[in-house]
Amino acid sequence: MEKELIGKVALITGGTKGIGRAIAERLSEAGALVIVTARTRPIETHTKHHFIAADLTIAAQTDKMVNEINEKFGSIDILVNNMGGSTSPSGGFGALTDAHWENDLQLNLQSAVRIDRAILPQMVEKKSGVIIHISSVTGTLPVYQSLGGYAVAKAALNNYSKSLSKEFSPKGIRVATVSPGMVKTDTMDAYLQSLAKTSDLSIEQVTLDLMDSLGGIPLGRMALPQEIAELVGFLVSPKASYITGVNYIVDGGSNPSL
Amino acid sequence: MENSTKELRGKIALVTGGTKGIGKAIADKLASNGATVVITARKPSEEETGHHFIAADLTDNSNIAELSGKIIEKYGTVDILINNVGGTSSPAGGFQMLCDDDWNRDIELNLMASIRLDKAIVPKMIEKNSGVVIHISSLNGKIPLYQSNFSYGVMKSALNAYSKTLANEVAKNGVRVNTVSPGMVKTTAMETFLESYAKTISKTVAEASQQLMDSLGGVPLNRLAEPEEIANMVAFLVSDGAGYITGANIVVDGGTYPAV
Repeated sequence: MEKELIGKVALITGGTKGIGRAIAERLSEAGALVIVTARTRPIETHTKHHFIAADLTIAAQTDKMVNEINEKFGSIDILVNNMGGSTSPSGGFGALTDAHWENDLQLNLQSAVRIDRAILPQMVEKKSGVIIHISSVTGTLPVYQSLGGYAVAKAALNNYSKSLSKEFSPKGIRVATVSPGMVKTDTMDAYLQSLAKTSDLSIEQVTLDLMDSLGGIPLGRMALPQEIAELVGFLVSPKASYITGVNYIVDGGSNPSL
Repeated sequence: MENSTKELRGKIALVTGGTKGIGKAIADKLASNGATVVITARKPSEEETGHHFIAADLTDNSNIAELSGKIIEKYGTVDILINNVGGTSSPAGGFQMLCDDDWNRDIELNLMASIRLDKAIVPKMIEKNSGVVIHISSLNGKIPLYQSNFSYGVMKSALNAYSKTLANEVAKNGVRVNTVSPGMVKTTAMETFLESYAKTISKTVAEASQQLMDSLGGVPLNRLAEPEEIANMVAFLVSDGAGYITGANIVVDGGTYPAV
C-alpha cells in the first residue's frame, strides 16, 4: 500500500461497521490520521482510529463533533460522509409514514449537508479538500418493495453532491459520490434476515430475489466492503486529481443503463 | 516511501495506440505497477518507450489477427486489454461537412477496431476465467459537440453501448469490462486539434480552447486533464481492488458532465 495520505486528516462518519469501517481501515493503511464517528462506541475499537460518539441526525451533535475535531486534530482534509441507512419498513409506498420519510432524509441527506456545512469553510480557506458521499445504487435504480424512502433520499444526495461539486470545484475542493450495489455487511445480513422472516422464505432465496429485483447482478455476487473502500481510497488520493462531480457505481454490473 | 505498488506483476497488458498521449501514459503507468506491457501503433515512437512495440493498423482486420497471433505466441495470453486507439480526422463544421468516408473512418477507428481486437483476445480470457478489458471512450459520447466532433461523439456513444453489453455477457466468465470517458486532455493530439479548430473558426488557440470548454458547459476544475490523470484511473480499474466494478462508464472530466 502506498502511503500517499500521510499527513492527511480523514473523518469517516459511521466508521465503526461495514463499508465505513472498511474505508477507515483503507485510509489508515494509506497513512491518513483517521477519525470515525458513530452513535455508540463499538465493543472493539480499531486502535489506530480516533472515535467520537455522535448522533449526526441531531444538528447540535454535529457542531459539537466538529468543534472537538478542530481542537484535537486541526482541519479535516478528507471527509467521507458514509453514514446512512434506513429503519423504514418494507412493503412499498403505503407502508411509509411521514416519520419514516423524515427519518430516511435525516439519516441519508441532512446529516451529510450539516457536516459539509461545518467542514467546507476550512477546506475553502486551504483551497484543498476532498468530500465523498456514500450513496447507493438504489438512488439510480429504485426498489419500491423494500427501500422506497432510502432510495429517494439517496437520489437527493446524488443531486446535492453534484451541485456541491459545481460550486466548490473551482475553489480547489473535489466532491464525488460512490454508489455501492449490494454489499455483504452485517447490516445487509440483518436486513436479509428480516426480509426472510417477513416473507417466510430462506435467506438464500431473499438474497436471490433482491439481486433479481435489481435486474440481476452480472458478477453474480454481493460486493465485499473492501471493494467499496478501494475505490474511495483511490478517489481521495492525489491520483484522482481531475475527478470531481461524478457518481461512481460499484455494483458488479447491476445498473442496466449506460 | 514506495513510489508505486507492483500489484500488476506477472500480468500481460496490451495497450493499443500506446506510443502517444493517453495511451502512452497508460502503458507507462501499468509498467510502473509491474505489468509487462505491449503497445501498438501504426508507427513506432521516435523515443525509446521501454515497452514491447508491435506495429499494427487496427482498422485493418488482417493486422489484428497478426497482432493477437504474435502476442499469444510470445506471452501465451493477455490479462489486461486497453482499447485506447481512437480519434478522428473528420472536418469540423457540423453535419453537412461529413461525407460517408468520414463516417466510415470514424466507425472503423473508434468502434470496429475495439470489437475486432476484443473478439481475438476475450476468448482467451474466458478460457482462463479471468481478465480485464477497458475501452477508452470520450466525454463526447455523453456530451455531443456538433461543431467540432460530430461523428466522433456518435461513435463513442456506440462504443459505450458496446462495452456495457460485452460486460453483461462475459461477467459470468470472470472477465470485467469497463469504459473510461476522459474529458479534455492535454495531449499533443489535442494541441494539434485545437490549432486546426482555431484556424477553422479564425480564433487564437487559447480562445478555441476556452470555447471548447464553454461548449461543454464549462469545466468546474477549469483546466484540461493531464494524460497521467486518466492513466491513474485505468490502473485502478485493472487492479484487483476494482474486482466488483464491471459494466461501468467512468467519467474523468474535472466535473464537466452536467447531469447527476
